[in-house]
Amino acid sequence: MPEGSILSDDFLRELINVGEVDILIGVPTYNDARTVGQVVQAIRAGLLKYFPRQRAVIINADGGSKDGSQDLVRAASISDISHSSNLNALRTLHCISTQYSGGSSSGNSLHLIFSAAELLRPNICSVVASDSTSIEPNWMEHLLRPIARDNVDLVTPLYTRHKFDGLLVRNLAYPMTRAIYGMQVREPFPSDFAFSGKLGSHFLSQDLWSQDSVKSGAEMGLTISAIAGGFRVAESFLGKKSRMDHAPADLVAAIRQTAGVLFWSMDGNFSTWSKVADSQPLSTIGAAPELTLEPLRVNRKRLREMFCVGVTELEPLLRSIVSPATMDELKRCSGAPEAEFRYPDELWVRTVYEFAASYHESVISRDHIIQALAPLYRGKAYTFLSQNRDASGEEVEKNVEALCMTFEQHKPYMLELWNGRK
Amino acid sequence: MALPQDALWYKDAVIYQVHVRTFYDSNGDGIGDFRGLAQRLDYLQELGTSVVWLMPFFPSPLRDDGYDIADYRTVHPSYGTLDDFKLFLDAAHQRGIRVVIEMVLNHTSDQHPWFQESRSSRDNPKRDWYVWSESDTRYRGTRIIFLDTELSNWAWDPVSREYYWHRFFSHQPDLNYDNPAVRDEMWSVMKFWLEMGVDGFRLDAVPYLIEREGTNCENLPETHVVLRELRAKLDEHFPGKMLLAEANQWPADLRPYFGEGDEFHMAFHFPLMPRMFMGLKLEDRKPITEILQQTPAIPENCQWVIFLRNHDELTLEMVTDVERDYMYDEYARDRSMRINLGIRRRLAPLLDNDRRRIELMNGMLMSLPGTPIIYYGDEIGMGDNVNLGDRNGVRTPMQWDGGWNGGFSAADPESLYSPLMLNPVYGFQAVNVKSQQRFDHSLLSWMKRIIRVRKSAPVFGRGTIEFLYPANHRVLAYIRKGPSETVLVVNNLSSSAQAVELDLKQYKGNILIEMFGKNIFPRVGEAPYLLTLGPYQFYWFRLRRI
Repeated sequence: MPEGSILSDDFLRELINVGEVDILIGVPTYNDARTVGQVVQAIRAGLLKYFPRQRAVIINADGGSKDGSQDLVRAASISDISHSSNLNALRTLHCISTQYSGGSSSGNSLHLIFSAAELLRPNICSVVASDSTSIEPNWMEHLLRPIARDNVDLVTPLYTRHKFDGLLVRNLAYPMTRAIYGMQVREPFPSDFAFSGKLGSHFLSQDLWSQDSVKSGAEMGLTISAIAGGFRVAESFLGKKSRMDHAPADLVAAIRQTAGVLFWSMDGNFSTWSKVADSQPLSTIGAAPELTLEPLRVNRKRLREMFCVGVTELEPLLRSIVSPATMDELKRCSGAPEAEFRYPDELWVRTVYEFAASYHESVISRDHIIQALAPLYRGKAYTFLSQNRDASGEEVEKNVEALCMTFEQHKPYMLELWNGRK
Repeated sequence: MALPQDALWYKDAVIYQVHVRTFYDSNGDGIGDFRGLAQRLDYLQELGTSVVWLMPFFPSPLRDDGYDIADYRTVHPSYGTLDDFKLFLDAAHQRGIRVVIEMVLNHTSDQHPWFQESRSSRDNPKRDWYVWSESDTRYRGTRIIFLDTELSNWAWDPVSREYYWHRFFSHQPDLNYDNPAVRDEMWSVMKFWLEMGVDGFRLDAVPYLIEREGTNCENLPETHVVLRELRAKLDEHFPGKMLLAEANQWPADLRPYFGEGDEFHMAFHFPLMPRMFMGLKLEDRKPITEILQQTPAIPENCQWVIFLRNHDELTLEMVTDVERDYMYDEYARDRSMRINLGIRRRLAPLLDNDRRRIELMNGMLMSLPGTPIIYYGDEIGMGDNVNLGDRNGVRTPMQWDGGWNGGFSAADPESLYSPLMLNPVYGFQAVNVKSQQRFDHSLLSWMKRIIRVRKSAPVFGRGTIEFLYPANHRVLAYIRKGPSETVLVVNNLSSSAQAVELDLKQYKGNILIEMFGKNIFPRVGEAPYLLTLGPYQFYWFRLRRI
């Protein structure tokens, strides 16, 4: 790898051969051979159907797969070289792949995709998760068209999801982003999204890429960057989102990628968010999303236990982060019998805001602050699951909306904390 | 200058397509004529023309630009006499230029005496010279070609009260090639002109000679039987003469027209032309390489004929719907530029009068496999006039100079067969032969140079082609290889500068010599050969092992 560049010479050579494009689709992979072939074929079909005249490239940023993921992406190319090209395609479609260094990480893969976009100068870019097995060719239409036709700069997805899917987003990332930045982005940490070349260039110039702790949450960073930068954001309904079953997610990493980036972004965007008093809905393309309600086994008990253990074991640390009043309430919660356990919205909002303020002040190591949020979030997740166990989709939405409003109502408290008055 | 005696002369040819009416008017009546054409042969010789292909010049009501022939054995009086034609033919031969004429086999004008006799009564001896029917429901599987004007392939004849078959305009009844008398008569017509000295025929609309129920009435085996008969007679009585097929078909469907080298000598490669325009606009070689990959091999003594533009619309019959829509949007956004399934525009306006693109397209025309045709006036970048109706906008008078009627005719401008181009960009005062002859950098001078270079390398007419497929899809690169020479052609289809790495390992040790400037480029080694090309730039390199 040439010093100071994320692009290898071989990859750069491939980019030279691709040349300027109108559309760039990025697909990050790491040992995704089971799914990536299907995803890339759907992308290709979508491009051929909805954007047959545009110059397009699919770029695979691979974290070091050993299962042939890269070959599956390359196989989707349409060219005259293979002699088996798609005769219905007007033009060549390059599908290129490269491995980035530094180990598998979504931050590294997105950094590579954004860097490639900077060189190929597409008007429209998109990133599609390699495990989005429910992808249909019309995702390309739904993600890209708002940018091509309506001059939108960022298109985030809306999915039909299970009511217990995306708990961290519903309880933290969405409501807090909405309250802080004033836009109701339902999926601020999207795995499938599209953005304009202009926004891509703007985002690439942010200093997020130099900070390993927040780089991993680049998707969240992009959303915030778009809002804070005054870019046009819209949502597009993609349909069902199903993914392959993975090993249990690393919660601390997930919080680092969402809350961590959100907290970090507040430092640089104070002048923007401090003026925001309420929130605005986004223009939405397509149908309104629905929640599915089929029974799902969740080990709630374990969540509460981990909350209680966390509050007890981390008390000295938590005391340096949250206010005494909040700490007292957390302890009261952890001492409550299971049947009465509840982490109220208002307490959760105050907790999160105090964590954000402490992150800003760097009262202790910022990463320790993020890690300390994990057990508390588990308590909130337990409460959400209990509260909505028998709830209809509408009721779940109502509860999420109530939490969002609590975040918004307490925004002045956040400002007071930030200004050091609390 | 003697004509080359090689039997395969058509492979090395550069064909110039012209209608006598459009070229030069010698008698001041406003219409080009054979004496005028003869007077301009020096120009064609200087350009490098080796064959003149004349569009129909026979007596005709001229309702389809002469493709509606009313008498096959003489010359339309507007263009002169048969003696004038002979004078022109001899003068061309003296300059080493062969003459190929049009022969419309499929149909005649409804004014032709044969048809007049045929329609006169149902028991007339010539009744069976045309295809008649009591109903208009036969051959239902046959497409209509002139969609803009015709609703059916059958037309009602009120005289004999039956329908007659016509694949083109209703005033062009199809001859009945199931009738041996028709076949004999058409051979007799061809013999008439061959004996006079013409060097070959472009046979118009050959896929449609025979009709059969339950088929699409195109490319039928019986049609090939008719054509092979004609070819056998030609070879027997007039060796060295050439037949060129006009059959707007896919390459695989065209292949049978070469037979085993015993049908046509040459055939137009219709699907290539729109794909060259498409490749240029897409900045992607895929359309071009794909259609050539699908092009079947043809017998050793046969040849494709390739072209950029001609007297008809830029036909989009041989493209997919997606491709056709793209071509319309990119090259004929104004609907008045569209006609039938094509675009009625000349080369220069199609390419926005961009000299670099005009040169690149001509560069490909001259270097891809086949014999190239230059449509009259395109060598100086003439424009078109879509307001003239039908395809007359690409058939305006040749622009010789900036003077009276553009040097075409001494007649009053009002009496010209067609208005001249007058606009400030393409009008005769801006675009004409005389002004371009004065400068080495003019398009005309450049065309002379590229034709000269092409003719210096027989490999372009006779060699094989091997595509190189560099990873940069904006670059179209190929090797033309013959027994004694090898040429590398590299075309940048893009509007921006490009770098390309060519795998030339098998030519390791060769030096590249650029064929226009004769400059030497670095020797080919093991590593990919790196070239950079400016926007729309192309190179022709001769590979030499020295």
